[in-house]
Amino acid sequence: MIRRRVAFGPSAETSSTIFLLLRRMRAPLIVLITIFAISVFGLTLIPGRDAAGQPARMGFFDAFYFMSYTATTIGYGEIPHPFTGAQRLWVMATIYLTVVGWAYAIGSLLTLLQDRAFHQALALRRFTRTVARLREPFLLIVGYGQTGRLLGGRLDLLGRRLVVLDTSAEHIDALDIDAYHSDVPGLVADVQNPRILAVAGLEHPRCEGVLALTDDDEVNLLVAMTAALVRPGLPVIARTVSPSIEHRMRAFGSPTVVNPFDRFGDHVRLALHAPTSYQLMSWLMSGPGAQLPEPGRLPTTGRWVVCGYGRFGREVSEDLRADGLELTVIDLNRDEDLGAEMIVGDASDPAVLAGARLAEAVGFVAGTANDTTNLSLVAAARKINPSLYVAARQNRPAHAPLFAAMEIDWLLVPAEVMAREIYAQLSTPLLWRFLQDMPERGDDWAAGMIDRLRDHCGTRLRTLWKVSLSPRDAPALTHWLGTGDARLGDLLKSPHDRSRPLTAVPLLLLRGQEATLGPDDDVGLEADDEILFAGEPAARRALLETMTDHIVREYVLYGRNVPSGRLWQRMSGRNPTGGKDRPGKEKNGG
Amino acid sequence: MSLEKVVFGFFVLLAATLNFGFFLGDLSDPALHNVYELFAAVVVNLIATVLKFGDRTQIGAVHLATSLVADLQLIAAALAWAYATQISSAGWDGPAVASVVSLSGGALLANLVSVALLVIETVSFHRR
Repeated sequence: MIRRRVAFGPSAETSSTIFLLLRRMRAPLIVLITIFAISVFGLTLIPGRDAAGQPARMGFFDAFYFMSYTATTIGYGEIPHPFTGAQRLWVMATIYLTVVGWAYAIGSLLTLLQDRAFHQALALRRFTRTVARLREPFLLIVGYGQTGRLLGGRLDLLGRRLVVLDTSAEHIDALDIDAYHSDVPGLVADVQNPRILAVAGLEHPRCEGVLALTDDDEVNLLVAMTAALVRPGLPVIARTVSPSIEHRMRAFGSPTVVNPFDRFGDHVRLALHAPTSYQLMSWLMSGPGAQLPEPGRLPTTGRWVVCGYGRFGREVSEDLRADGLELTVIDLNRDEDLGAEMIVGDASDPAVLAGARLAEAVGFVAGTANDTTNLSLVAAARKINPSLYVAARQNRPAHAPLFAAMEIDWLLVPAEVMAREIYAQLSTPLLWRFLQDMPERGDDWAAGMIDRLRDHCGTRLRTLWKVSLSPRDAPALTHWLGTGDARLGDLLKSPHDRSRPLTAVPLLLLRGQEATLGPDDDVGLEADDEILFAGEPAARRALLETMTDHIVREYVLYGRNVPSGRLWQRMSGRNPTGGKDRPGKEKNGG
Repeated sequence: MSLEKVVFGFFVLLAATLNFGFFLGDLSDPALHNVYELFAAVVVNLIATVLKFGDRTQIGAVHLATSLVADLQLIAAALAWAYATQISSAGWDGPAVASVVSLSGGALLANLVSVALLVIETVSFHRR
């Protein structure tokens, strides 16, 4: 079936704001013209006297001249002759009239310049122009709340361009406060209007993806739908917390749907079953410069107490119960389907909390949607049983220092989970693949991986980067890759001293659709392989040199010192291998 | 019937009629061209122009354009009159009157186009 592409074309709303200005200025301008006309006309009719005392009337020219300087409060006096009483009477009236007319006109103009509709029209116009002039690939973020802000900052660090839409002026104002490297156009608008999405660059050829991150599932669904209908094939990442909306989203194209509570449930499961895998995952997902997180000490036997049985509490409870843990749930509303002990009541009431027998419990989850409640619950629970393992949900970013001061064992920030997930998907798709496949390899494998990373790069993860062994990106390696005995270990040596390995760890090797996790030194390489590395930025530069410079390659791979000049190569008889390739740096640009 | 349409039609038509009244008569005879009528034509034309501000339709844009042309011609006529009466030594007679009246004749043409547009707009409105 051939589907016609929907196009919105230029928006009528964005057409010149000058019309708005003119339309609003109609009444004041007409009043001003009328007052002027009446004053001038009256002045020409009223009889005056010339210097000789003869009756004389003022001409239109003099009358207009007189009114012009009188109305603008300049006032040169009475010309061409001193006025008679009748003329002065009329001039008195006109002075007050014209002053009122000017005040009205100028007042209207100033009001208009401060008018909200006028400002919006101006903002929309500026936004439309900025977006239309973007010449780099950009991501369209719809919804600039907590998740949007976290994600925006990280993507900006990667050098990605962004365009932001939100319904709340407060969120868009935050754009000015946040320190971005590039200019991020933002607009306050009704994001449910498909035309607004078009204005924000949905139809722009450089738009490389849409992120629907609003708090409203319906809006996210609409954005995902619009994107799929207007630009089929455009990558869409949508947030939702409802499985039914997720199902409806998947009916349109193939959007990546992220459900923070669902993803969080996966993390809980992983943390319970494979704490080291979880440790590795959270380290890699934290972004550049992250410290190795402390290994969790999640108690896997005993009874847990969960406060708050909303969407979040439900997800956690299910995962804990699926793991065979005993459970006590405290919530204001009774849930009949819950197959565990349920206490109905307000958890912050000491009597209710006492009923949960915290002294015998091992774990405690403060999972309500209110940060103050969560903090006080943690404090109360610790008072009863100081050895409890405490997990708490943080809803607002501003409360982060309070939660940090409480030294929560496991802090759960839904917005942070979302931002990390999407960041991993967008920044390095290979990392995303790694994280998907990693849990299957088991805890021991993850422990080995962490050891390897720590040996090579220390406890701080510096950078993650992707290397492609295509002839275009690695021109110096084309011959070597074709020989059939290219080993990964040979490549990862320092160009300064080849007995030392590079401070980089290969995390994943992708050949076609087949991925090898944590490839070791003996893994064979072929042309067009893609490798994900973690390590020092210096190692990244060194590897780039090996891949592009023939002379460096000769040393790193074979230990041969080849002169870089053609003349010395002739004289010493030392030529680079794969003689057809030209030596030297000509191909560096690649 | 809306009052806005009445006011709009009134001013467009009045601008054309006043302009016509001033233009009528022998081109160079000062006695046949009253300067008060020129003044009224300028003022009413300015008001008609302001009334046309802010209409975003195609016909509205042409309306505004014709009015701006008429304003330009009439203001030029007023300036020519001011030059003849205040600055020129020849005074308010034959050639000066002819130039003022012919300028207002140009404005009259623009005003007639304006009236034609008004009629077209009205007719097409009825058809809808």
